Amino acid sequence: MTGLLQIVFDALSLGSLYALGALGIALIFGVMRLVNFAHGDFIAFCVFAMLWPSTNAAAIVFAGNLPSWLLVPLLLLVGAGLSVLSEIIVFRRFRNANPATMMIASFALGFAMRNFLLMLYSSRPKSITLWPTLGLPVEILGARIPMLQVVTIVITLVVLAALTLFLKRTRYGLEMRAAAENFTMARMLGVRANGVILFAFAISGMLAAAIGLILATNSGTADINMGANVMLIAFIATVIGGLGSVPGAVAAGFLIGAASVIFQATLPNEARVFRDSFVYGAVIIVLLVRPQGLFAPKSAKQRV
Amino acid sequence: MSQRPSVLWRTIATPLILTVLLLVIAALSYQFGSRAFNRTVVEMFINIMVVVGLYVFIGNSGLLSFGHISFMCLGAYMTAWLTIPPMMKSITLKGLPAWLLQTKLSMWIATPLSGLFVAIIALIVGRIIMRLSGIAASIATFGLLGVVNNVYSNWDSVTGGQGSIVGIPPTMTVWNGWLGAAVAIAIAYLYAISRSGLALRATRDEAVAANASGIDIVRERLIAFVVSAFIIGLAGALYAHFLSIVNPGAFYLRTTFVTLSMLVVGGMYSLSGAVVGVVAISVLIELFRNLEKGVSIDGVTLGLPNGFQEVAIGVITIVILIYLPSGLMRNRELTWPSWRRRQAVPRPAQPALEESN
Amino acid sequence: MTLLAVDDLTVRYGRLTALRGVSLSITQGEILFVTGPNGAGKSTLLNAIAGVVPPVSGRITLDGQEITGAPPEQIARRGFSMVPEGRNVFGALTIEENLKVGAGMRTDKHGVAADLDAVYREFPILAERRHAVAGMLSGGQQQMLVIGRALMTSPRLIAIDEPSLGLAPKIIDQVYEILMRLRAQRQLTLLIVEQSSTRALMTGGRMILMRGGRIVLEGPASEMVKDERLKQAYFGFGDH
Repeated sequence: MTGLLQIVFDALSLGSLYALGALGIALIFGVMRLVNFAHGDFIAFCVFAMLWPSTNAAAIVFAGNLPSWLLVPLLLLVGAGLSVLSEIIVFRRFRNANPATMMIASFALGFAMRNFLLMLYSSRPKSITLWPTLGLPVEILGARIPMLQVVTIVITLVVLAALTLFLKRTRYGLEMRAAAENFTMARMLGVRANGVILFAFAISGMLAAAIGLILATNSGTADINMGANVMLIAFIATVIGGLGSVPGAVAAGFLIGAASVIFQATLPNEARVFRDSFVYGAVIIVLLVRPQGLFAPKSAKQRV
Repeated sequence: MSQRPSVLWRTIATPLILTVLLLVIAALSYQFGSRAFNRTVVEMFINIMVVVGLYVFIGNSGLLSFGHISFMCLGAYMTAWLTIPPMMKSITLKGLPAWLLQTKLSMWIATPLSGLFVAIIALIVGRIIMRLSGIAASIATFGLLGVVNNVYSNWDSVTGGQGSIVGIPPTMTVWNGWLGAAVAIAIAYLYAISRSGLALRATRDEAVAANASGIDIVRERLIAFVVSAFIIGLAGALYAHFLSIVNPGAFYLRTTFVTLSMLVVGGMYSLSGAVVGVVAISVLIELFRNLEKGVSIDGVTLGLPNGFQEVAIGVITIVILIYLPSGLMRNRELTWPSWRRRQAVPRPAQPALEESN
Repeated sequence: MTLLAVDDLTVRYGRLTALRGVSLSITQGEILFVTGPNGAGKSTLLNAIAGVVPPVSGRITLDGQEITGAPPEQIARRGFSMVPEGRNVFGALTIEENLKVGAGMRTDKHGVAADLDAVYREFPILAERRHAVAGMLSGGQQQMLVIGRALMTSPRLIAIDEPSLGLAPKIIDQVYEILMRLRAQRQLTLLIVEQSSTRALMTGGRMILMRGGRIVLEGPASEMVKDERLKQAYFGFGDH
């Protein structure tokens, strides 16, 4: 029983991480058909923003020393700012480009950013300690669950609830949903293209910062590649969730998280290291059965 | 197909010019270049093979693939298994089947075998993936990259895991490299003028019309996929000989990105673009590599920090995408000078405007 | 007073020229039908005015202000409301949400509420299903929704691309009846694209006939009936 509970929490917390990542990718994809490969590097960038640039092994913590109530908003701001800047400087010029071109452009941006971090901080992972108390376990129904897992799940649920409210109840949310479905039509009804897109980028950047915080707390290190894995899985979640479907992306994020944990728990020992292969394989199978994704909206037409 | 000879005659210039140009580079490098420079040239030739291989699939089908570098990985490891002396293999790669453990082939036999092996794998994988299209297909190729990387990084007894396998005979010279590039260009050219290549480009430009005219999209894509995998498999094999060690990290995101950049910079839809892109980016990489090493002025070494090279390539790729979306070659092919001007080879249609009437 | 003026407008898609020097003007409160065979450039004309397709040359002015090359949202904000071909409801949004998107740019809360009531009164079926997802509506209901949505933008001019496309004749009659009534109530100016000229001849108003990206005929619909050139334009004897 406690073992099962542990698995459930593992699945939920990993799924939360993937869901947050998928959300960041799906929001941008929705409004401009851009698959943002740089998302993982936004995550890493936010983590490194807490450190002072130096190529020494020992990290010089900078913003990371701030009290939490200042650090968290600051980092969210960094994420949003970075994301918005990338839109203004780079992606705006690809508004009418085909998706393949945009994918390569975002890939290029991510590559440049990752190596920019490498230039400033070197490729060595650096240790960084945030909220060490979150590493302690808490007892839930007899199982000892790391506090961080609980916090991750709670944060994700709060974010999802807030975003749902935003999308359903506010004018900007409404416009964003309309734009995600048919951008041209939305514009012909007076919806400001730049506003909606910048907003999507800002939210996506904040989500990246949140993921960065969780990852850094969890691993205790800052690594320039730390966002890559989450980004890859999130990206896959966006696709199997049904491109352009925000709830679909979230659901698929949780699904992949669960699948990973279940593979981890049930695969024989020798096969465990190949867990990711099983996940990727499962993704390809899902795509074959439903190329439009698991939760594709009815009206969604593939635009590629 | 009474037109065939004239198609051949009109287009044969492209591979010939490219091959001769590369031969000139090889000869100059051999004659005047330092050892290090020669190695750079060999690496460039291998990259030309990879990017030409990418072009065969991406250029003709219009589908983006992030998975082709896994074919390089498969080819490189196959060559490692075939060419490392049995003594060494029996220590580091215990999991190999006995017949493979005892095999010791020369580069000239191992390379085509590796290519064939990769082509067969591509045939199997492609039968599944090629049914998809658009972004779903791109994701599936990403999945392929992930699976191959994951398996080769962790199957310790056969691949040595994350570590490197050493002991591949370092037999690469500029001449071998040039030959490899020439073979890749020849195959890519022959594919492009083949019936399958023409049909595939038709589906790229006019999917609906091509479908209506009875072209089997999945089959043509599969053929291109296998041909491109074969070329990249060869490249992987030569790369193993070039480095004389292999490790899975060499065939992952960085290489995927750099080779895609090369293709984009040159122009995705032409063979000349593929080659020119590699040459252009290679020159830049070499330049930045030297700058990173630093210039010594009065005993003080001024160098760019590590990573600058990659940042510059990323930025250049973006700039090219913005200002020259069809690449340096603008999707044209090199052809005989002043022979009825430069010839435009079938280009992708403008992204269709959804609202046109 | 001239509300919309198009002067010597040319539009190209790559090598294909879709509009060749088209000029027209619409006065306040008028109905203008743009008709012509497939590929005549009718939809392109609307899309160019709406700012969706950039013109190569020419000028478009709305209420005296130049809007050539302006982004669609700005043109919409100036009072030009476009209902494109194929209706384009936001299928995943509810009916009410669809209507609210139309009102998104307005700041007069009371006006919006009043207009929402008016739309629901005009289209009771929309009121009945206001919380249903728009994708579930029938073609005729979707057509009503997009007209309602256009009204929510508080427009001075509504441009509709093929309102009768794919609808049963009875429904088409209903749509036109509503359009005419709205026009009378709100002093709306209407720019309607239809492939066939039948509707224009029935409804009255002014009519423009396009072919091959040009305007070939223009005048009051009632007088066009007699014109031989009308038939020629459709059946292809004219110059091209």
